[in-house]
Amino acid sequence: MSKVRLHQDALPPTNEPLRIAVRRLRWFKAAFLRHAETVSQELGCKLEVDEAKLAGCFMRWLDAIEVQRPADKSQRRAFFEFAAALMMRELTTDMPLKAEGVPVLAQPGSAAAFWPEGYCCTIFCLSVHAAATAQEFHTETTIDPAIDDLRHWWSFRENTMQDARFSAGFLQMLMGSQPNWVMPDVFSAQTKDDRA
Amino acid sequence: MPLPSFIQPDSMPLREALRGLRFLLRRGGETLADTISVDALPKPASEIASVVMTEVGGIVRSVDTVASSAAKKILGGQENPTAALDDLIHHDAAEAEFAQAIYVALSAVLRRFGTTSFFVSEMSARATFAAWRRETGEADPEQRAAELTLRLLDARVVRGVSVDKAQLAPTGALDGAAVFAVLLWLQSSRSDAENEAALDAAADIALAKADEIARALAARRLDSLAALYRKYVDHV
Repeated sequence: MSKVRLHQDALPPTNEPLRIAVRRLRWFKAAFLRHAETVSQELGCKLEVDEAKLAGCFMRWLDAIEVQRPADKSQRRAFFEFAAALMMRELTTDMPLKAEGVPVLAQPGSAAAFWPEGYCCTIFCLSVHAAATAQEFHTETTIDPAIDDLRHWWSFRENTMQDARFSAGFLQMLMGSQPNWVMPDVFSAQTKDDRA
Repeated sequence: MPLPSFIQPDSMPLREALRGLRFLLRRGGETLADTISVDALPKPASEIASVVMTEVGGIVRSVDTVASSAAKKILGGQENPTAALDDLIHHDAAEAEFAQAIYVALSAVLRRFGTTSFFVSEMSARATFAAWRRETGEADPEQRAAELTLRLLDARVVRGVSVDKAQLAPTGALDGAAVFAVLLWLQSSRSDAENEAALDAAADIALAKADEIARALAARRLDSLAALYRKYVDHV
């Protein structure tokens, strides 16, 4: 079993369903800042958040989900997962985090030690997705064992540096889906099996 | 014996005058410091200029402090309302409430945008809101908010905006984006506890969409502006 822990419990409280709250910038920002603080403590290094970049990520994400949202209600659940992947794409397109110092508490050779910023964003997207899915569909999110394999993180970082769309595929893979690696950020291009 | 009731004097004009004075002094001090390069002058001119600059700086600072504290006293405690714009319209003192709110909120947003100095006219905001309230029709809330946005900008509610080098948006777009942010915030659903975070979020949204807002404002396209309000009001 993976040692990676999601942080659903660290998400800020809200009276609204999470699927609504996450689309409000004030909640999204509070959630990200709180998450970055939690991960900073976990890793033993400060993760500085650029709030202007974070707001930019959020706005691009809103536009992206609006453009790609399927009309077919049967695809709602699949799109839930896909929305998290699009968030991952936007966070890696213009990374709003910067690690100040070395993550001294991270296990050597772990993803967190290898790329603290990428790790923090990945766990954020997975945590929000897991919490929202549990609330909407009463199911638990299972993380693929690939999350513990540093080779995937090497590939993730290398490829994402060249093309941020890759990160959308990486997140889908961690959620157990088989992404379309040619167009990992296009919902209609994913296989029907994955969208069921 | 009951005490006679007096009509409360309107403190807004005095408050505005004090703020105007404060603005001019701050701006004047900045301009002076930016304009005169004391170090480049030959002696004894540089020594004389140095003394004069120090004296002027002192005067500006003391008058600035007096104007600020006097304005604050007259200002009293000003808090942002949690009422939505559409509810605010029906309040008895809607004009004054709106003007005070927009002063506080616009100032906060402009600072968030990285402006170094600006003047927000509470008087213009009150007069504009009163006229808009009288004349606004039965359009949907976003359309009416778009109309109020244009009116506030036409009335130059925000004046004298100057920004530092690290400005976040083109100077010309800042006043429009700031007014858009405040009206977006006023339309959004929020609690007391969320008020400040909601205003910050509205400001960030406006900044991210500054170009689109500027285009809609330049073309005076109420429909485009209303569409932007409609699109983002639930995302503040």
